[in-house]
Amino acid sequence: MLAAVRSAAVHGIDGYPVIVEVHVGAGLPAYDLVGLPDAAGRESRERVRAAIMSTGLEWPMKRITVNLAPAVLRKAGTGLEAAIACGVLAASEQLPEGALATTAVIGELGLDGTLRHVPGTLVIADALARDGVDRVIVPVASAREASLVRGIEVLPAQSLGDIVLCLSGEMCWADIPPVADIPTEVGFDDALDLGEVRGLEVARLALAAAAAGGHHLLLVGPPGAGKTMLAKRFPSIIPPLVHDAALEVTRIASAHGQASCGELVHQPPFRAPHHSASAAALIGGGTNARVRIGEITLAHKGVLFLDELGEFSPCVLDGLRQPLEDRTVHISRAGVSARLPADFTLIACCNPCPCGLTGDDCRCNEVQRTRYRRRLSGPLLDRFDLRLMVEGPSATDTRGASSAETREFVQHAVDRQRARFCDTPFQRNADIPQRWLDRFAPMTPQASSTLADIAEVRGLSGRGVARVWRVARTLADFDGSELIDVAQIDTAATMRDEVI
Amino acid sequence: MPVTDNEIAAAALSALPHASAKRLLALWKDHGSASAAFDAVRSGSTTDPSWNPYAAPNGWPRHAEPDVITNTMNRRGTRVLLPGDGDWPIDVPLDPQCALLFAEGSRFDALQRRAVGIVGTRSASPHGLADAYELAGIATKAGLTVVSGLAIGIDAAAHRGAIDRDGLTIGVVATGLDVTYPRRHVELFSRVRDHGLVLGEYPFGVGPQQWRFPVRNRIIAALSSTCVVVEAKSTGGALSTAKRAVDLGKTVLAMPGSRRNPAAAGTNALLRDGATMLLEPRDLFTAIELATQQRVIAGSDPQWAQPSLFSLSDPAQRILDCLAGDSATVDQLIGLTSMAAPEVAAALRELERFGKIERKYGKFWPR
Repeated sequence: MLAAVRSAAVHGIDGYPVIVEVHVGAGLPAYDLVGLPDAAGRESRERVRAAIMSTGLEWPMKRITVNLAPAVLRKAGTGLEAAIACGVLAASEQLPEGALATTAVIGELGLDGTLRHVPGTLVIADALARDGVDRVIVPVASAREASLVRGIEVLPAQSLGDIVLCLSGEMCWADIPPVADIPTEVGFDDALDLGEVRGLEVARLALAAAAAGGHHLLLVGPPGAGKTMLAKRFPSIIPPLVHDAALEVTRIASAHGQASCGELVHQPPFRAPHHSASAAALIGGGTNARVRIGEITLAHKGVLFLDELGEFSPCVLDGLRQPLEDRTVHISRAGVSARLPADFTLIACCNPCPCGLTGDDCRCNEVQRTRYRRRLSGPLLDRFDLRLMVEGPSATDTRGASSAETREFVQHAVDRQRARFCDTPFQRNADIPQRWLDRFAPMTPQASSTLADIAEVRGLSGRGVARVWRVARTLADFDGSELIDVAQIDTAATMRDEVI
Repeated sequence: MPVTDNEIAAAALSALPHASAKRLLALWKDHGSASAAFDAVRSGSTTDPSWNPYAAPNGWPRHAEPDVITNTMNRRGTRVLLPGDGDWPIDVPLDPQCALLFAEGSRFDALQRRAVGIVGTRSASPHGLADAYELAGIATKAGLTVVSGLAIGIDAAAHRGAIDRDGLTIGVVATGLDVTYPRRHVELFSRVRDHGLVLGEYPFGVGPQQWRFPVRNRIIAALSSTCVVVEAKSTGGALSTAKRAVDLGKTVLAMPGSRRNPAAAGTNALLRDGATMLLEPRDLFTAIELATQQRVIAGSDPQWAQPSLFSLSDPAQRILDCLAGDSATVDQLIGLTSMAAPEVAAALRELERFGKIERKYGKFWPR
């Protein structure tokens, strides 16, 4: 007997439909799984067999062949196990004929027949919906995540037994108790408030500009100056994501297998990898079987925070250059390739030199300083719109605006940008192409001559001028002005310094 | 002017192993000239039998073959200066002795002028670098050649100060002239060649070795009529140059600095030990005039650059007062002056425009 069950697997951050074909025929009892499963997939044989037998059903003592079509693509993970089990049952006539015609099945099996959560349920269900599947049977733990997809009916099941009973009409899908709500995670630590930071007025302004305009920010300073303190408070001032961006972020989180609460993630992601991160971990990588999502993709529409930038391996950092420019990364391996989104704001901190002190207190000689500086390549440093030296506040400094106040301020600037860029392919000031600056960031004549003067005195390149210009655009948005004035140009130029 | 046989012979002999300056000088004295000495060593007819192994078959190393050396010298435009020649620049006895100097560059007249050595530490402060740069420029305008060691830090600032004012400068290296050390000074080396000379006593191919640098310093001291130490740590090469200069009877000047600045510890110690204080450019010229009994400059004394021909705005003046000679970040200035960020930013732009402050390491430094 032959049976086919529809299911899907994850590739990169997308799902693709898979048809599980099961043939049960005459011959010596055997089980063959073909169609390029990965190591976890090959082990599924034992789980499938045990689950069927634990459920009280019969494991056919015949020659069983399972094919995962399309056979040329490698299938990663264990989400196909429930479909394989259903296929075996259908092919051995333990399920009514045609029960699974327009119903897909996803889920990992336990040895007792329970269905377990599948990482990437959201993208899998989405792929199935686009493939024309009407209903999808999912583990109860994945039900809320799957129900984020429109146009497909989600049937939650607790175990393989539930599936068999419901499909043969002995039980109703509605009788299966739903899983208890998982408490919603707070996106950021409420305890960290920007109001706790004393002084550092320009640094706070730079932080707000990074949050509003999407400008990359580099904070340099001696240990204990407050760089990390500021950066850690960054998530508390970023405005929440709009629906489309939230869906994208949730899809990525799902494909990466992050525990999902079954709701759209509206808080922008904040990723802070340790400086021992490898290129594959940061940029993304993979093996022949699957593409692995890197930190820059997990930080899509959010923030990538690199503390101690100088301690990262230089070649790992230089790998960031192209994604920073293109806002996407193309992972290519011999067996697989994928284009992954990587539209993130980069916040980085580092010391000015190995000893961390600046100026007269510095104990490093020129050679050590140069060697340290060389770890950060010029092209990488150039991509920071905001580069600022931070030294600790003085005793007289008072507390500044709280996170809530700053967030309001930032939201205001974001709203202005949204209105301005509604019919353009870009959404934030940091993304304005150089040739369109004149149109989207007009200046007063005085501001224009001030910018030219600064460029001359400081020897700024054309690109450097454009970066100051974009930051000034964001500062003008803070001030609620459509026209950039001298004050904003001056402040923007101060926030882009040769810090290292 | 083509390279003479004498120069090739001297260069070839100096490239032999165990050819110390002392032995070479004795050889040239014995045979009258370097080329005669070369022929004698080749034929094994020297008075000193320790040269005889080179006359044996295969006894002469390939890199010291005259045709190899001639090729290199012609390609690079290298000249060899020998004691007793008209252009031999050193008029004081050296210890250890110096048998020859390799020279590359387009301005041999740099050797004819009076010279001032400007040296200092490699880990200099921005203030020290600015002082060295400015002092070299002023010395250049007075017609002096600036001599230094092509090292990073003060040395490089001095060379650049002279070059940027279109003056002459001599860099004395402690390697073969075909070796560029430090590597990052490739461009500075070529600019020094265009605006003066690169000198060195070691044959081609000799790389940087720690012990050669203090030995090289005696040549800097010998070429200079006076020697200025801009910034020096309490240990290091700059102090060795000062000591060599004192040994040769040259005046040593030093610039004072804060005791909190490690790069001023050496210069302050020099001042305590009797070095002449250099506070303004006049001090340098007085020292040279005393040493040479000749006027260096006619007319009014040059002054440190006074960048402000303009009157500063109030916020700018306030920031300058708050800096009080120290450096600060923009956030610290906002805290110190209680002015708003755009106002401080505008004042900083004004100060930078007029050259009153300098940006370095993300901070603002008064000049």
